Amino acid sequence: MKYVIMIHSNPQPWGHPTGDYLPEFQALPAEERERLTGDFERTLTEMQERGELVMGEALGDPTTARLYRWEDGRPLATDGPYSESKEHLAGFFVIDVESLERAEEIGAVFAGPGETVELRPMMWPGGDDQ
Amino acid sequence: MLDARVLEDVWRRESAHVLAALLRRHGDLADCEDAAQEAALAASVQWERDGLPQNPRAWLIRVASRRLVDTVRSGRAREEREATHTDRMDMPANADGDARRTDADDTLRLLVLCCHPALSRASQVALTLRSVAGLSASQIAAAYLVPERTMAQRLSRARATLRAAGARFELPPPAEAASRLAAALDVCHLMFNEGYVRSSGEHLLDADLAGEAIRLTRQLHRAVPEHDEVTGALALMLLTHARAPARTTPTGDLVPLAEQDRRTWDATQIAEGVRLLEEVLPRGHVGRFQLQAAIAAVHAESPTWEETDWAQISVLYAMLDAVAPSPAVTLNRAVAVGMAVGPAEGLALVDDLLTDPAMQRHHRTHAVRAHLLESAGELAGAHAAYQRAAALTASLPEQRYLNRRAARLPRS
Repeated sequence: MKYVIMIHSNPQPWGHPTGDYLPEFQALPAEERERLTGDFERTLTEMQERGELVMGEALGDPTTARLYRWEDGRPLATDGPYSESKEHLAGFFVIDVESLERAEEIGAVFAGPGETVELRPMMWPGGDDQ
Repeated sequence: MLDARVLEDVWRRESAHVLAALLRRHGDLADCEDAAQEAALAASVQWERDGLPQNPRAWLIRVASRRLVDTVRSGRAREEREATHTDRMDMPANADGDARRTDADDTLRLLVLCCHPALSRASQVALTLRSVAGLSASQIAAAYLVPERTMAQRLSRARATLRAAGARFELPPPAEAASRLAAALDVCHLMFNEGYVRSSGEHLLDADLAGEAIRLTRQLHRAVPEHDEVTGALALMLLTHARAPARTTPTGDLVPLAEQDRRTWDATQIAEGVRLLEEVLPRGHVGRFQLQAAIAAVHAESPTWEETDWAQISVLYAMLDAVAPSPAVTLNRAVAVGMAVGPAEGLALVDDLLTDPAMQRHHRTHAVRAHLLESAGELAGAHAAYQRAAALTASLPEQRYLNRRAARLPRS
């Protein structure tokens, strides 16, 4: 089963890994930061070894986004960011795992203070006829 | 000049036997696969130039054995492998008494090795496709819609796990034989299902997983013809696969069993499935595959959805619920009871499932409930249930189908 894990964040300045630029993360005691980073790295390695990680990408600064909205029958381009909301899509991972439980386990490890992690199932082209 | 197609066919036919011959002398699957792969590469060069050898299997085994000896004698292998593996290398190929094992036996041993209990189900399936069916990592990756690198990682991790578990190329001891064979059969069945639900006109894939699963189960049946559940599983796959031409429209939309054009079902596969089932059912022990096959046979032999012998299907599902209870079986039983008795009785079965949080999140619970509510005339409730099912499914064609059903009904 494929899922996408989306990291919604607002590092200041924009940068990766996002935790390095989030005051909430930086406010944690050093050993707590190390523990979280260690857990994340360990899970990532484990996912690579198991063949669960399909892909992962970090995204550029949302102010460099170009937005296309439909106006008067044609696309109208403006500069980003896409929304005024506090968080922006900062990066995503595509995973392929055996169960929803495993996906939720991974999603929880990807979470960190000051940002939101979103786990969503990916649609696939097959289906049952029963 | 040799056609690449011919080479591929020979390889697909012989690879399991080449691997089996190597594994008899050297227990490490990763080493043996590397050697077999190098032999295949050598074959593609040399056969292209000189034509097909008289005995392709012997040629491949000879070349692969040489590569394997080179690998194992190299320092890298000596450091990494346990002594028990390398010790057996100098044994001549025919030293052990049962060197003339049949092809069917090779397949069985290889299948049981790939379905070792130390591996996850997904790894067992991937490794079986690679080592027993002879598919390439890229073909398996394409079938599962993942990058080749991801699949290669899964395969090498699976081989490393086998090595760490000390898995051997041999039949398991009698105490384990039944459960190991059952695991191998589960893997074939899972592979079939994964292939079957993926196949549709729009998305023709490189590897036909359902076809591979039937081929493997056929070989398994040849190795243990007296095993009733293997026979049952083969019958089930054939009877289900017979519906493949009718299950999707040319544009890739799903056609549910109720609406399929039964004239396009494959009569040959149905006949073989029914024949296998008639042969095995009177023997007494009736397991879940035989019951599922019996249900598929009732569908296969009825001219329309409405004329189906739903009373018989209800009884078979009740038996299946006793032998191998699962929420999926209860759902199918609810459909059958809904047709045989009435929607209210079917809904009662579904409502029991709704108390389970996992089933509440499962799209099929709501899809079945929607159908039953619709036949009961509770259209607003059916509309809401179709919408809930459409929101929960991850299958694009299923979602399109469920949205279509919802759209025909008045809103709540």
